[in-house]
Amino acid sequence: MINKNKIKRNWKIFWLFSKFALKTTFQTRWGVAFFIGGKLMRFFFLLGFLFLVFSKTKSLYGYSFQEAAIFFMTFNLIDNAAQFLFREVYRFRPLITSGGFDLVLIKPYHPFLRILLGGVDYMDLLTLVLYLLITLYFAFQLPYLSFINLLLYLLLLTNGLIIATAFHVIVLALGILITSVDHTIMIYRDITSIGRFPLDIYREPIRFVFTFVFPIALMMNLPAQVLIGKFNWELVVVAIVFAFGLLGFSMLLWKKAVKHYQSWGG
Amino acid sequence: MNKYLTIFNVTIKEYFAYRLSFVLWRFRTLINLIVIFFFWFAVSAKYTNFAGYSQPALLSYILYASLISDFVIGTRLGDIAAEINNGNIINIILKPIGFFNYYFARDLADKFINIVFSFGEILIVAYIARISLSTPQNLILFVLFFLCGLMISYYMNLIIAFLGFWTTESWAPRFIFTILISLLSGNFFPLDMLPKTLYQIALLTPIPYLFFLPTKIILGRIDNYLILEAMMAFFWLLISRSIAHFIWKKGNKSFSFWGR
Amino acid sequence: MISVKNLTKTYLVHKKQNNLLKDIFFRQYKKVVALDDISFDIRDNELVGFIGPNGAGKTTTLKILSGILYPTSGNINILGYIPFSKNPEFLKQIAFVAGQRNQLIWDLPASDSFKLNQEIYEINEQEYKKNVADLAEILNCLKMIDKPVKTLSLGERMKMELIAALLHRPKLVFLDEPTIGLDLFSQQNIRHFLKTYQQKYQATIILTSHYMEDVKALAKRVIIINHGKIIYNDQLKNIIEKYSSEKIIKITLDDNCDEKNLTLKEKPFFYSFPEIIYKVDKKTLPEKIKMITETLPFSDLTVEDKPIEEVIKEMFRKS
Repeated sequence: MINKNKIKRNWKIFWLFSKFALKTTFQTRWGVAFFIGGKLMRFFFLLGFLFLVFSKTKSLYGYSFQEAAIFFMTFNLIDNAAQFLFREVYRFRPLITSGGFDLVLIKPYHPFLRILLGGVDYMDLLTLVLYLLITLYFAFQLPYLSFINLLLYLLLLTNGLIIATAFHVIVLALGILITSVDHTIMIYRDITSIGRFPLDIYREPIRFVFTFVFPIALMMNLPAQVLIGKFNWELVVVAIVFAFGLLGFSMLLWKKAVKHYQSWGG
Repeated sequence: MNKYLTIFNVTIKEYFAYRLSFVLWRFRTLINLIVIFFFWFAVSAKYTNFAGYSQPALLSYILYASLISDFVIGTRLGDIAAEINNGNIINIILKPIGFFNYYFARDLADKFINIVFSFGEILIVAYIARISLSTPQNLILFVLFFLCGLMISYYMNLIIAFLGFWTTESWAPRFIFTILISLLSGNFFPLDMLPKTLYQIALLTPIPYLFFLPTKIILGRIDNYLILEAMMAFFWLLISRSIAHFIWKKGNKSFSFWGR
Repeated sequence: MISVKNLTKTYLVHKKQNNLLKDIFFRQYKKVVALDDISFDIRDNELVGFIGPNGAGKTTTLKILSGILYPTSGNINILGYIPFSKNPEFLKQIAFVAGQRNQLIWDLPASDSFKLNQEIYEINEQEYKKNVADLAEILNCLKMIDKPVKTLSLGERMKMELIAALLHRPKLVFLDEPTIGLDLFSQQNIRHFLKTYQQKYQATIILTSHYMEDVKALAKRVIIINHGKIIYNDQLKNIIEKYSSEKIIKITLDDNCDEKNLTLKEKPFFYSFPEIIYKVDKKTLPEKIKMITETLPFSDLTVEDKPIEEVIKEMFRKS
């Protein structure tokens, strides 16, 4: 009974935060138009670029254009979903330096409702829907598409999102622990951007680093591999275990950060 | 002259005040370079001629373009909009320093840091990939086009920055501008890989003159339209300069800001 | 209500060694003691002022009591809870208001932020409406509730912050420099509001401020902190009795007194015709007064205590 009420209340608070975030967004209509325009421009350009590359070569390391496009779309789905949910993480450092974070810690709800999920970005929801449709378009062009693969694909997309969540929590924790760096979230974006294309086209030192040191392959590539039917089951298990492990680690890191929080000003 | 040297030095010191932040910034630049470079490495590995480029030529292009673009595109002019919005720009306008010269000195410092570290990053990548880079050619011609591109980039950045005089939302057009430049100016792929018509249309815009053409020239890949390209480069230089000065004059008159 | 025993807070600050590699991988730290083994109690319905110079530890104390910062050692018990555990039931009974820091959403009307707090603190609709109305009435700012926060002046914004913070009728209110940066009129408004609020709702209020006017107007009891230690913990009015050994005699000389013929037996602290000011040790006060009345033609004479600000300044200097 108690837990049900707690969930209901947290949902209500989340809903209010996102409603107000939307209201704030609409105050800058031109900004919204430009922002969405810019993102779409980048997306269509990269897709066109992929097409351009494939116009000069029939297949790339055994991948057809449709298959490479699936990799590209998978990246965009996970990346965009993460930006949709966690846009507030980009505003965390200014919140700390202005002293506003103190006023968040004092409230009787989990700070993540505010600093992780408090700035849901509806502009990204629009692009997310578009990406979903384009992904389906390419998916239906695949020669072998089974229902099980599609289901597994959705599962691994969620898994990729869980990894993204863990990374964002780590960024928040580092935002408290390391006071001299403001752009940690952009480092995350740069590192994950290698997941736009299949990682096995890269040479060895790169491939190793981005599979084991920064497990982008598990996060971004694996769902695509599953959808096009070129994967092995062990990796799926590894990916899920890794995701929850990373999530647990990020929570511990966050707890440590709150203890070490030294506040600002005063 | 000394004032500007001091501004230059102070700007450089600012970078090193937060060392971890600086190191991570260069790390980000290196990662971005690696992502693009090894993508092309993989793609061109199987072909002796990919859209007119051999593998060493293509990879040399990516590295040279990265070096030159870091110098040409790197700018502190983004600060202007923020300083207009929070009113700090008054301090600069009231000091006995030329406004344009002040920001030029800051920009030079930023470009200097960029090129010094970019150079190191390029060597790292070239070493990992074990490729041999093309040797620079046509140096005089290169310098001419390079300086032209540098100034066009500077004035274009100024124009975007001055939007801060009219709106608090100048981040939006700057966002679009940055995306356009990062995608289309040539550090993603050599512009002459585009289908012929698209390439020719691109040559009518100022974008290829920023650093793509200078890079082509230094790599020794001069085409038949050199004279036309030189004229277009100069044309865009004049246009961007006039627009920047015009907007500056108008902006100064309609300027207002909020206190906090 | 509040019991603090042996509270200590130390920070580790990293020493810059001016060497890039060492600064990242082989950091050296030095300990900074912000609070040094302090203890105090605060009862229900008290209004206590924390005074101290910058960096003394006042704000650190407030932030530890409210659960924001983690104490290095010591026992803190507030309403039966340990603050840092941030038990929601504890958090629902406290409020933290800091001058020049916003909890309100910048681009939207304050009423939107109020609704958010209503949900967060689980206040039912009837009570919510009543609380907002009551607070807005005392602060006289009902019209501003629906204007975007960014369009309000600093003083008006502070009023909105107070409503947002007190909406849930907290039993314990922390105020960190609430009047800083405000014009005199707004400062008076806020002080009046806080006094009224405390009397009406029987809340415990802990306040830090650099403005002695705030403390004098509101707090009966003060805790003075310097260098992380408590140097005074008692009624405000007792400071003069305990710590001031001097009295101030202000003399206004008679109009028809001839300046040139005037000889002062003793050198005064301040002399600009016709005003003279003497600073006199309490013990020698009677004889000084005698001397003045016998030798100086004055039209007005007052004996005052040293301003409390000066007494406190001296306490800081000594400690």
